[in-house]
Amino acid sequence: MQREQLEQQIERQTLESRTRRHFLQNCATGLGGLWMATESQATDPAATKHNQLNPLNPSTPPLPAKVKRVIYLHMVGAPSQLELFDYKPELNALDGKDCPASFLEGKRFAFINGTPKMLGHQYKFQQHGKSGMWVSEQMPHLSKTVDDICFIKTMQTEQFNHGPAQLMVHTGASQMGSPSIGSWVTWGLGSENSDLPGFIVLLSGGRLPRVGKALWSSGFLPSVYQGVQCRSQGDPVLNASNPEGVSRQQRRQVLDTLEQLNRESHQQFGDPETLTRIAQYEMAFRMQTAAPEAMDLSSETADTLQAYGAEPGKESFANNCLLARRLVEKGVRFVQLFDWGWDTHGSNQGESLNHGFRKKCTQTDKPIAALLQDLRQRGLLEDTLVVWGGEFGRTPMRENRMGGTMAFMGRDHSPDAFTMWMAGAGVKGGYSHGVTDPVGYTPAENPVQLRDLHATLLHLMGFDHRKMSVPFKGLDQRLTGVKTATVIKDVLS
Amino acid sequence: MKIEHLFVPLTCVLAVLLGESHLNAADAVMIDFTSQIRPILRDHCLDCHGGVKQAADLSFIHRDAALEVIEAGSPDESALIQRLRSKDADEVMPPPEHGSPLTGDEIKLLTRWVEQGAAWEQPWAYQPPLAPKPPSVSAAQWCQQPLDRFVLASLDQQRISPAPQAPPEQWLRRVTLDLTGLPPTPEQIQQFLKSVKTDGQDAYSNTVDELLKSPGYGERWASVWLDQVRYADSRGLGADGRREIWKYRDWVIDAINDDMPFDEFTIKQIAGDLLPSPTIDDRVATAVHRLTQTNEEGGTDDEEFRINAVLDRVSTVWQTWQGVTFGCVQCHAHPYDPLQHEDFYRFAAFFNNTSDCDLNSELPLLAVPVDPADNAKAGKLDQKITALQHSIWKRESAALDAPEANWQFLTAMTASANKSTEVAVEQRHDRAEYYTIDTLSSNTEITLEMPLKANSKRVTAIRITIAPGDPEKAKRDSEWGFVLSHVQATVINQKGETNPITFTRVIGDEAAPFKNPEDSLNDKTNNGFAAYSRIHYPRTAVFVLESGVEVAESSTLKIKFRNGVTELGAFPLIAKRGYVAVSREPIFKPLLNAPELLSDKQQLSFLRAERAMIPSSNIPVLSERPSHLKRPTHVFTRGLFLTKGKEVQPGVPAVLAPLPQPNNDATASDVSASRLELAHWLVNGENPLTARVTVNRVWARLFGAGIVATEEDFGSSGEPPSHPKLLDQLAFQFQNDFGWSQKQLVRTIVLSSTYRQDSKMRPELQETDATNRLLARGPRFRMPAEMIRDNALLISGLLSPQMHGVPVHPPIPGGVWKPFQGGDKWKTPEIGDSDRYRKSIYTYTKRSIPFPMFAAFDAPSREFCTPRRLRSNTPLQALMTLNDATFVECSKALAKKLLDSQPKLEAQLRYGFVAVTSREPNENEMKALAGLYKNCRQQQSNELDSMTAVTSVLLNLDESMSK
Repeated sequence: MQREQLEQQIERQTLESRTRRHFLQNCATGLGGLWMATESQATDPAATKHNQLNPLNPSTPPLPAKVKRVIYLHMVGAPSQLELFDYKPELNALDGKDCPASFLEGKRFAFINGTPKMLGHQYKFQQHGKSGMWVSEQMPHLSKTVDDICFIKTMQTEQFNHGPAQLMVHTGASQMGSPSIGSWVTWGLGSENSDLPGFIVLLSGGRLPRVGKALWSSGFLPSVYQGVQCRSQGDPVLNASNPEGVSRQQRRQVLDTLEQLNRESHQQFGDPETLTRIAQYEMAFRMQTAAPEAMDLSSETADTLQAYGAEPGKESFANNCLLARRLVEKGVRFVQLFDWGWDTHGSNQGESLNHGFRKKCTQTDKPIAALLQDLRQRGLLEDTLVVWGGEFGRTPMRENRMGGTMAFMGRDHSPDAFTMWMAGAGVKGGYSHGVTDPVGYTPAENPVQLRDLHATLLHLMGFDHRKMSVPFKGLDQRLTGVKTATVIKDVLS
Repeated sequence: MKIEHLFVPLTCVLAVLLGESHLNAADAVMIDFTSQIRPILRDHCLDCHGGVKQAADLSFIHRDAALEVIEAGSPDESALIQRLRSKDADEVMPPPEHGSPLTGDEIKLLTRWVEQGAAWEQPWAYQPPLAPKPPSVSAAQWCQQPLDRFVLASLDQQRISPAPQAPPEQWLRRVTLDLTGLPPTPEQIQQFLKSVKTDGQDAYSNTVDELLKSPGYGERWASVWLDQVRYADSRGLGADGRREIWKYRDWVIDAINDDMPFDEFTIKQIAGDLLPSPTIDDRVATAVHRLTQTNEEGGTDDEEFRINAVLDRVSTVWQTWQGVTFGCVQCHAHPYDPLQHEDFYRFAAFFNNTSDCDLNSELPLLAVPVDPADNAKAGKLDQKITALQHSIWKRESAALDAPEANWQFLTAMTASANKSTEVAVEQRHDRAEYYTIDTLSSNTEITLEMPLKANSKRVTAIRITIAPGDPEKAKRDSEWGFVLSHVQATVINQKGETNPITFTRVIGDEAAPFKNPEDSLNDKTNNGFAAYSRIHYPRTAVFVLESGVEVAESSTLKIKFRNGVTELGAFPLIAKRGYVAVSREPIFKPLLNAPELLSDKQQLSFLRAERAMIPSSNIPVLSERPSHLKRPTHVFTRGLFLTKGKEVQPGVPAVLAPLPQPNNDATASDVSASRLELAHWLVNGENPLTARVTVNRVWARLFGAGIVATEEDFGSSGEPPSHPKLLDQLAFQFQNDFGWSQKQLVRTIVLSSTYRQDSKMRPELQETDATNRLLARGPRFRMPAEMIRDNALLISGLLSPQMHGVPVHPPIPGGVWKPFQGGDKWKTPEIGDSDRYRKSIYTYTKRSIPFPMFAAFDAPSREFCTPRRLRSNTPLQALMTLNDATFVECSKALAKKLLDSQPKLEAQLRYGFVAVTSREPNENEMKALAGLYKNCRQQQSNELDSMTAVTSVLLNLDESMSK
């Protein structure tokens, strides 16, 4: 059966099911009985658009939206704001002195113990662009694009250990089991490309983040909204390749027979899920070519490859930045990058500000700058948002793990103030929001909670974070949680 | 105070009686609170006057509180009604900015309800199920089981007739999948069809009895239970390392296969360790609470994650046994249900004194014999060892505070420490105490010098007490503890001559500590007398001298101890405060060398050696801390563990039946209720939720949706039951007639006419009942992940029948396995090795890297209790069953099996089709399969490859994946 026919047939069924009762009943067998529980979903436009053929069908958000797609760059391990974007001349003056007792009162640390020493900036800062943003010498390429960037210097989180803090950033909860931002967004908006997953995850840095797949889990949303990890090596999507010896033509024959038989069984049992399954097999067949094509960098020009520092076939952050552009260009809704290796405690060379950190900067500076430029050139920055950040900040004190002096320069985890930035659609370029105290330890004005950032992201994509909810376990679950979250109006363009 | 305040809490009925005198004849129909009034209150009032927000201190969750604004019987005098009727924008409720006003009809209803006495009812789920009277039905002969009458009665009401009975092979497929997780083989189908002809109805019940005996029954239903209790083979969070706990999974499988009554199943899991003379199995059952996540990430506060685990235990028990989301009560009173903020912490107090504390070692561990045949022997040994250990310690610990010891505190002290650790001395309670200041360095050595008193002519024992840095605060907010890794002492006389002391014994203040105090004498280990890993209260140990030391006038005692343990690469466990007493009495050696004690100690080491000979798997379990070290439980203000409010004792919410009386020994010092009373409370027949939630879960797995569709929420924000009386009937039968037997429950349901209906969709009901909530047809839906995989393995002949044992590692796509800790290997057995083809329940479950096939098919990754799974339908599932190594192997094996089975293509195809769908193919279906085979052959594929194309179709049929 032709796809169009199938679509018509399912469309007809969908139309028949327009009333709330129908919608809920269909979901109960199909995409998730959880929608049955309360009234609130009936008025949620995000919920009513899901159809049986393709739960990822694109849809219009309930409110005007400037952002259609997101590329989220997470520097796993928490990069030091004090070596990158938060310039604090007074910190240098305190370098090597005992940390004042007032900084330590009532605080809990991962590794700092007793009274540590203050630690000045390890790199030079300079102002850049028309906007005069301060950036350290470790990001020479990115410095050239600051007029596109909207910094938030006063991000705060409730967690100061990596696992829970990473979960807070991506799911709004500190324990595993809640949907990630990308899942919420694809649940709300679907995807503009029906041959690729709507939410794609790319990893670099050689290690998986600690809590693994929980960072791109769909939690209590249907699993179709979970992030799909795509790889630069091997199958780009798990099991995308046919088994050895099976050609695409043979596969076509198998699928044709499968469809014939499934239609017979639909005749017998009349279960609409059977039609959905036929559609999913067709989509899988298209994905088998679409995914490798999207993940193949060899069609990019030498200039582009060079600008990013990308090398086809390798697994690198540079490749992932270029892939991110290719994917958003193809209409993928949410592209999530994780780059491992930013946890600069000073306990070894790799995890130190004076060695490993420089390497991480070199690996990411040029590709990110190239990504922003590339998106701008292609007009994609008009409706794509790029987000950069870690899971918390680093202390203005030098780490003194186990009460000793560390072999290398490093800073401990600091949840009260860290820098994130956004660039692209809907946000002010060359702008900095929030100011930290003179040592970059706590916000002096305009603190921003992660839930505020989540509310802002949803707002940019056309959702009211208070209304985007799913009833689960007796609560209307939201990305922004139960506490009050506020859209950061000041950063909106 | 109004008079109702006194009476109504006793019974709401009384209020109705009081109100009745006000009734007019016209209003004779009583307003029903649950169906007519509560929805109005919930929709219009509870957001501001509920459990979370109680504006003007007013709440409509409990009648008592609501009576502040209600004069029962007098609507005109009730502020509630006045405010609703008010035309004044400042007066009217709800305030215009908060919501639309109530309709005239709603106000009328409320008015009549107040007039009738404002009777209140607890939400339905909090009222005990009563045996409902079977309703009369249109066709009594249709009803094979009592439950059918309830289903048919509701169909009668809707003027819908039930679906015809399913063809026997359809019922056989359904029941075989439901009871064993596997489909019937074509041979079993043949046999069943034959016996239906000869035995009629008996064929059905005989089949069910056989299936219930199959080991697959326990495996299928264990998987349902393991979702509830978040079973995984890894620890979650920070590093997600491997956790050895599969013995618990095997315990669940066996308990279900043995049809352990659900009350016993409950008691063992909640409090198996507290049963009198617990067996190995009783204690394995408590591992259910050790399935919580721990955090091994460096620099993480163990107390924070211990508390998280305790709170998760509370939430999981409520979710799993009570079907109520208790988690929100962690921060505030329940927004809709009669559960108070404090209830959460009273409940948490049951679980707050277990000795586990987020240690990377996962202590406490139980050595569970690998071979269950050794369980009885090991269990007896354990009981003996525990008893002897406690009895020995009881005798020895007399040394700690026997009056004859005549302990004398040392009242002067100088203290020093190495590395960055600084110490100072202060006088407290007439003794000298040292304490540390500020930075604590790992492996710090602390040295104390204390002048001995003039009358100390001799020293026979030294008593060291280590206290928290802030002794008052630590009682509620424990501190990191300490380990005295090595303790040395010398006596220095006036001339500066040193006389080293040799200790022979160390007696600690705990019968079964995690670390052996005697190790303080051994410099080769970092272990020793400890508060491991947290300290709430001062801790004491006596160091007994080998032989008493004579002390010259003006001598000084010098004690040096090393603090060698650092937790999580971050937290040095340093003795932060301490003081010393000495004894000169010669009582210790006789006390510790009493012949009986010595022989008991010898006996203990024999028993331990014997126990160690039994090969065992060490799994985390529950055990209770001694009562003198009990952790207090506090309410956490706004749910935050660092802001502790009032202290609470273990207890259950007032809305439910009270706890049974504790069976405690009347002489026991600790009279507060234990987990054992809690366990009995869940299943003693008074609890209105346990049986309902359990039968609903079974029903939902069989029919695809529960009678209460929101299985996780039986509270007022969940869905009301579709068939309330059916639910109560089953719950009542389950806990009374069936004696909590799950097999009897399942048997009753699968033999019912309701379950036996044809699953064909009914076009006339498509509009009104697409999801079969009316139960007007048989269930049909996609199988859970494990079943899909196990089906493919069975049909292709690859499935290994082996049960139990260590988790296995079937093939996964390359590049998936990148664990955070490199040591956790995924070792896939070679092709042909039976461990490659084990049932899915034996697959290693790592939380951060879920098995890809399971993740694609909606299996939860088991971080938290998952009451029910969603069912999605995605392209990634298609790629999985078409291309994944296991499925490719299965289609090849099935192809070979078919080709080898019989010579004729038609027979081969027919057999394959029946094997996957449990029914005969029609002509079109046969044609399509044969066509594919012939096409492949024409395109030069060999027989096996061509047949593999066919079997790949068979294994991917929507019907093969549906029950």
